[in-house]
Amino acid sequence: MLAGWRCGACFTLAIWATLGLAAVPRERFQESLIIRPLHDGKVSSQFSFLTSVQDATPRNPETLGLEDDSQHYTVFPLALGQILREYAITEMHLTLNAGKWNYDQWGYPNEAGVGTGAELWAWMGDGGLATVDQRWQGLRNALAGLFCASLGSLDEQRTTSPVLTFAPEGLLPNWTRPHQLRHASLPSEHVCTENLTPFLKLLPCKSQSGIASLLNPHQLFDADWHGMGVHVWLDPIEGVKVRLTFQSVFDPVRNSLGGRRDWSFTSIFGRTIEKHCPVAQTSSIQIELPDDKSYTLSPEPTRVDVNIALFDLVNRTEPFEAAMQWLGEATFEYPLNAGDLSHMPLSVRRTLRGSSQARGQLSVVLTNNWPTEMHVIYLETMPWLLQFYLHTLRIYCNGEPCDHLISNISYTPPVPHARPTMFQSVLTVPPKTTIYLTIDVSKSFLRYTEHPPDAQRGWDLPPAVLVPLRVRENQTIDQGTRYPRIYTPILLVDLATPDFSMPYNVIILSCTLITLIFGSVFNLLTRKFVVVQLDGPTKDKNIN
Amino acid sequence: MSSPQWPSSLKDPSKICFESTQTRRLVLGSYWAVVLLALPLWWYTTSIERLSLPSSRVLGLFERDLRFQLHLQLNTEGYKDAAVVARDWQGILDQRTALGGRWEGLDVYVHPKKHGDFSDVFGTYTVNMGPYKSSAQDRQLSLTTANVLTDDSPTTLIDTLSDLLAPYAPSDSHDCVVQYAPRYRLAFTMLNEDAAAGQAVHGWDIQDAIAQHISPHLLRLSVLHNFTIESQVQFHAPLAFKPIPISVDGRAAHGLMPEDLTVFVNSAQWTLSSSVSNDPVLHFILYVPSVTQRPLYILNADGTTSRSTAFLLPQWGGIVLFNPPPPSDLHQHTHLSSHSLMPIMNSFSTQLLALLGVPPLPPAVRCTQSNSSLTDWQLDALLRRRILENVDKSTKTLGSIVQLVDQIENMPVGPDVRGDVQDALIALDKVFVSSRNSTIETLLHSSQALSLASRAFFNPGMLALLYFPAEHKYAVYTPLFASVAVPLLAAVGRELIAWRRSRKQRAESKGGEQDRRERNG
Repeated sequence: MLAGWRCGACFTLAIWATLGLAAVPRERFQESLIIRPLHDGKVSSQFSFLTSVQDATPRNPETLGLEDDSQHYTVFPLALGQILREYAITEMHLTLNAGKWNYDQWGYPNEAGVGTGAELWAWMGDGGLATVDQRWQGLRNALAGLFCASLGSLDEQRTTSPVLTFAPEGLLPNWTRPHQLRHASLPSEHVCTENLTPFLKLLPCKSQSGIASLLNPHQLFDADWHGMGVHVWLDPIEGVKVRLTFQSVFDPVRNSLGGRRDWSFTSIFGRTIEKHCPVAQTSSIQIELPDDKSYTLSPEPTRVDVNIALFDLVNRTEPFEAAMQWLGEATFEYPLNAGDLSHMPLSVRRTLRGSSQARGQLSVVLTNNWPTEMHVIYLETMPWLLQFYLHTLRIYCNGEPCDHLISNISYTPPVPHARPTMFQSVLTVPPKTTIYLTIDVSKSFLRYTEHPPDAQRGWDLPPAVLVPLRVRENQTIDQGTRYPRIYTPILLVDLATPDFSMPYNVIILSCTLITLIFGSVFNLLTRKFVVVQLDGPTKDKNIN
Repeated sequence: MSSPQWPSSLKDPSKICFESTQTRRLVLGSYWAVVLLALPLWWYTTSIERLSLPSSRVLGLFERDLRFQLHLQLNTEGYKDAAVVARDWQGILDQRTALGGRWEGLDVYVHPKKHGDFSDVFGTYTVNMGPYKSSAQDRQLSLTTANVLTDDSPTTLIDTLSDLLAPYAPSDSHDCVVQYAPRYRLAFTMLNEDAAAGQAVHGWDIQDAIAQHISPHLLRLSVLHNFTIESQVQFHAPLAFKPIPISVDGRAAHGLMPEDLTVFVNSAQWTLSSSVSNDPVLHFILYVPSVTQRPLYILNADGTTSRSTAFLLPQWGGIVLFNPPPPSDLHQHTHLSSHSLMPIMNSFSTQLLALLGVPPLPPAVRCTQSNSSLTDWQLDALLRRRILENVDKSTKTLGSIVQLVDQIENMPVGPDVRGDVQDALIALDKVFVSSRNSTIETLLHSSQALSLASRAFFNPGMLALLYFPAEHKYAVYTPLFASVAVPLLAAVGRELIAWRRSRKQRAESKGGEQDRRERNG
């Protein structure tokens, strides 16, 4: 063991020596804010904080037993770096969202991960001392501690590996064994201030200066939709990258007295940018300009690209505030039409039908908004609470059965109390057509201890994920052009719920019953029967 | 008029086969037999697993005393008779070791050089006296002869030796030294109070600086601990209090009062903690005050500025204040090169050694060790101290486990707890054996014993039934137990009374017959 210590120390020293000679890894920090006034008077904002470590590589799990390199960071968050290296994570995506993203009205979000609740997926190398599942458990526990979220409950009862849907966003290093995917989502997790505070601590400028100073929890968590994300991936050129994002959709019409859609930093964030973050290499604010030209934007943008106004905050010393006003508009009139659907390839509706507590039917309605045929990867990951009956899977289009539209089905049946269901398939949606997919489900009967404290509320089911694909004639599904993922809203399932005072009632009732039976049998067996001699003859005489 | 022909048994129910007293008693007896036979089963299924712990061996540990034997080999090189000096020193040292205190667990023997070379024997230190400057190297100490020649009482020399062999005064508050752990995380953090205010320090060549100033120490200390090193820079690290404005040489400055230093670390806003491992973390913080708070000084209790810019937080880490020289441009950023980090790293390395409990050399002795500032004298003293500490702590932990298990009767003791306790005892036995041969091996065994003992102490299985007392179960089952027990007991009582009455009757009838017989006779 002593030799091991010495060797470890020498090894560490050797690494310092090489690092001392080699160029120090350069770290870059870039921040940006994208603001998009939406068709229905709402304003979407996306904060993005990108940190990259040049020349850094993820840890190979084969080296998990050995002494790791020392970690020296300037702007990269050390707390996150420790977790990534401890569990040898190559790529990781964590999102915590609240609310329902309205694709038809708002179009695609800037960040694809908008599924309600918590979602975590990671690509990890295989091999080494700890298995992928052990490291996955360690990762979610460490992230749960870091972000104060209940990610610990993303256990094997919710973990799947939908490789087709969640393709890696960055490069996977070519190690001896292939990488593996782990994915889990927890729709009932709610994002709030306690998650934002640790999120802000990962930023080099916290919320003290730069664009991050606009992240005001009072305003953000009042928004119609809000969500945060942590994304780590390996860029083939720029090394390991971390992107921290915060998206929100504000409703200025709701918050203004006159029902106007004018907005400014003060009205939506409650703050302005007072100081520039000194370590940000780029710091830009992009405002997408609406199609109707009746607005005024202040201040004058640094430059305008097509329909995006750009503001550069680096080297700006005075406080910055942007505002957009529609001066000619007294009150905002909500548009009556659903808006332009052509920017979304698909519209999706998903419902769980049937009022019984034992069976139901899952129904998905998909509409192709485009005049071209569309392939869609369709993924359902369900906790074992729901079981699919695959033979009841039906697809209808134009009122007729169209079962040929589904292909590449892969199905992992659930194991009650242990493993979730995973259903992944490719759907072909003809141009400008709506298809209806139904599948029968049965609802499980839970054990007494498996019910949550608010059992009567029901169980949240994770969203389905759809990835639209454009596949040319001679291409396979894997080679097709991918559009960003689409998440359906989450569902709520009502399972048979017992009366929770029942166990005690049962104990007491059955005790009483057993006692009654016992008492009567026991009495019968041990009682001493005696014939009481009444005054016989007198009685007889009277009768006669 | 004759009554219908009833079977005779109906007229007298005691004639029915199951109504005989014997059958009734048999039925009752079998009920009770079932209850009594079920008792052991019930006892077995509801009892808590409580394996017996080797308490006597644990208690025996308190009687055992770990002692290290140190041999001093005197080489006077003819200045004085080595044997005489050795006898003198032995006398003085015996007096001192008998007092205990800092000499706890140490036996010192002085041998003159001419009695043979002992340098191969474990625990031997050589003391050379000659025309040298006092210096220490490996396990050798060279002492200047000036004192030996002039001063007849060798107290000053013995004092120097004491500082080398037993440098830890018992009254000396050891609070500052961190508890022993096989691995520490050294977290170097540069904190800018407010980088947005300008003139912040944006980077530091910490890797080079660590390689130059810290790594040599860590390499020497690798026999005791492993180290993980990490560093980060933060750009907004506000203080939880306001430093007081002072004036130094007519210029405005800010000062930290001694009581401010204890609350200096603002853990709510500085993200220093690490969440991935349970290794203890030693923090080393370079604090750069914001441009409006500069220069920031540490004040003495009387309000004057202290010359030191560094301070130590016991068992937590060290903090160094750094006031960058004012650059001409307000927005110019500073990068600390490894050269300019030198004084800071010197403070950090002093703090590191103090936190790890490395004893300083006595002021009279210089270190001439090549490639390191730590001599074997210091390392050995530290090793001995850590061993004694670990043995003491694991003994106490084992003692508390035994005491706790004795006190709380509901506490389960599983095979893993017993295994850990036994392994800890074995490791402690090995400590006593190997303490005569090798300090490094002894340290390994002692740290093993400590970790096993604390693992046994914190075993979660011991908490299992602490919060679910048997009374609750009885309360739930009372409707069954009470209502079943009442007829059972009542039947027994009734049967007993009937039996006693019948016996009495029989005795009376017998007595009556006897009376009659006597009267007749």
